[in-house]
Amino acid sequence: MNRFALAFRLPIIVWQILFFLGPLIFMVAMSFFLVKNYRMVEAFELKNWVKMMTRGYVWDSYWLTLALATLTTVAASLAAFPAAFYLAFRTSESLRRWVIFLLIIPFFTSYLVRTFSWYVILAESGVINGILGWLGLGPYIMLNTMFGTIVGYLTLTLPLVVILQTVSLANIDMRLVQAAQNLGCSSARTLWTVILPLSRTGLMIAALFCFILAFGDFVAPYYLGGSKPPTLPILIIDTTKSGQQWPRAAVVAVMMMVTLFAIAFTTIVLAYRKRTSK
Amino acid sequence: MTALVKIDAVEKRFGDFVAVRCMNLSIDQGEFVAIMGPSGCGKTTTLRILAGLEQPTSGKILIGGRVMNDVSAHQRDTPMVWQSLALFPFLNVRENVEFGLKMRRVAVQERSRRAIDWLERMEIADLAGRMVDTLSGGQRQRVALARALVTEPQLLLLDEPLSALDAHLVIRMQGVLNRLQRELGITFIYVTHSQSEAFAMADRVVIMNNGGIAQVGSPRDIYRTPANRFVAEFVGRNNILTGNATVGGIDTAVGLVKTTHSVTTGSAVTLVIAADQIAISRKPAPGAVETKLISEEFVGSVVTLFLEAGDGTEFKVQLQERALAELDIHSGGSFHLTWPDNIAHILPISPS
Repeated sequence: MNRFALAFRLPIIVWQILFFLGPLIFMVAMSFFLVKNYRMVEAFELKNWVKMMTRGYVWDSYWLTLALATLTTVAASLAAFPAAFYLAFRTSESLRRWVIFLLIIPFFTSYLVRTFSWYVILAESGVINGILGWLGLGPYIMLNTMFGTIVGYLTLTLPLVVILQTVSLANIDMRLVQAAQNLGCSSARTLWTVILPLSRTGLMIAALFCFILAFGDFVAPYYLGGSKPPTLPILIIDTTKSGQQWPRAAVVAVMMMVTLFAIAFTTIVLAYRKRTSK
Repeated sequence: MTALVKIDAVEKRFGDFVAVRCMNLSIDQGEFVAIMGPSGCGKTTTLRILAGLEQPTSGKILIGGRVMNDVSAHQRDTPMVWQSLALFPFLNVRENVEFGLKMRRVAVQERSRRAIDWLERMEIADLAGRMVDTLSGGQRQRVALARALVTEPQLLLLDEPLSALDAHLVIRMQGVLNRLQRELGITFIYVTHSQSEAFAMADRVVIMNNGGIAQVGSPRDIYRTPANRFVAEFVGRNNILTGNATVGGIDTAVGLVKTTHSVTTGSAVTLVIAADQIAISRKPAPGAVETKLISEEFVGSVVTLFLEAGDGTEFKVQLQERALAELDIHSGGSFHLTWPDNIAHILPISPS
């Protein structure tokens, strides 16, 4: 490596070490610290790990978070697909560009603001219950429920999933779809025989992004889900607040990191796996 | 022979652009027809209309006597071999070949057997388990052919299938295609921009220009008697002279050209003289056109000489490479061109 190349790479390497690798190592180390008289003490004890791993509520929280994130991923992928399909195959390229631009606009606003705006819609005296009241139905409780949490997750993930799916579908070589039709495959059937196999990588990466965002999000379960029952990010906040238990919160954080790492690794391997010749 | 395919007054527009204009063509069962023309002439669009991948704006398509306009692509039995081959990258060779059978709900074992049969026929049975991206160009070509033919269609559409292959493979695949077509006795409609491919394989050649048919005929007819100036210029190496018919022959820029054809005195005519029909000599002769050598093109055993007459008229002369020695072409000086009176072909329509 010549000197210039090194000079260009150095800032990013330093940045990564200082602000990513360093804190990560510190967090893992902290999970072995102890708290005495509300003060953190450097130590190397397994107490926090034993305590958190043997608590039922930690595992309840873990499975709940996993289930909600999975449900959101399935719901977002299914809800996004018809839109992405329409954008990729049934619109002109210029309209597609405009719609993708419109889908980026939500990201201009803070996610927190977007989450709060659901209050107006989901509240007991909100828009939906107002309309349902007119029809003599409801009111239904939607805020501070798991439904609310999932609405929040979808607010965060859906535009991104639509964009990623659209891009991967739009990149499909239409000649392959036509070749399938030419060989006797009806348009509807090309979805299974050609379109899904060809867009598999992009669709799986879109789902992975959705899962990562939902799994780590604390805004939706906090403001729309009412923190009950707590997801892992809520558990982290609660643990730090109660008795300054940063080390125990670090245990939960490490659990989340390991889980995400495993899921991301598996998904990417599966998404890019190519069949081999025999 | 009965007509398998009938293209009846078909027109195809994309907005203002007319891709195919008022096309009429009838193709017999078992015929090998090549559709040839420059890019954008409408040849591929014609093929796609036959496959149902484009709808004609007006006119009718009949296959086997049945009007196909309202039959969607997947219900037609018109497999196509694509220029890009369009093999499915997520399927292996055998599964690619089986695809058409699977769509027709042929039982698993039956379709596997038929796919392997075709791979054997194409001499690539040992590649059955390979993924297509690990194959060479020639091997992929054979997979594409097997995939299209496995359903035993009456008609095979081929869209420049050999354009991506190396020259030596093209010759081999031409042999494979010709053999297959004769053995199966099915109709091939072969779109190409390559004259050598079209002339080498086809029973009948359709020359298209600007969305319309410029000429239909046997390769020999088209080569020797082009129907119009476009065909004369597009096909082969033709010399084109324009002039006015007079009593003694045709008065052109290079002098009076004698002809055995009967022409109305006073009419403007276009003469076509094939480059391989012109005799070239160092010695002046009565009636010969005197020219200077501009350049030469060497393609194996055949050489084309580009020459220019005193008034700027260009001539192309084709001759055998071994005939070059006695001409001593690089020593400068004049070349004298002659051709038999009965050779110059006179175009029936005036130059466009």
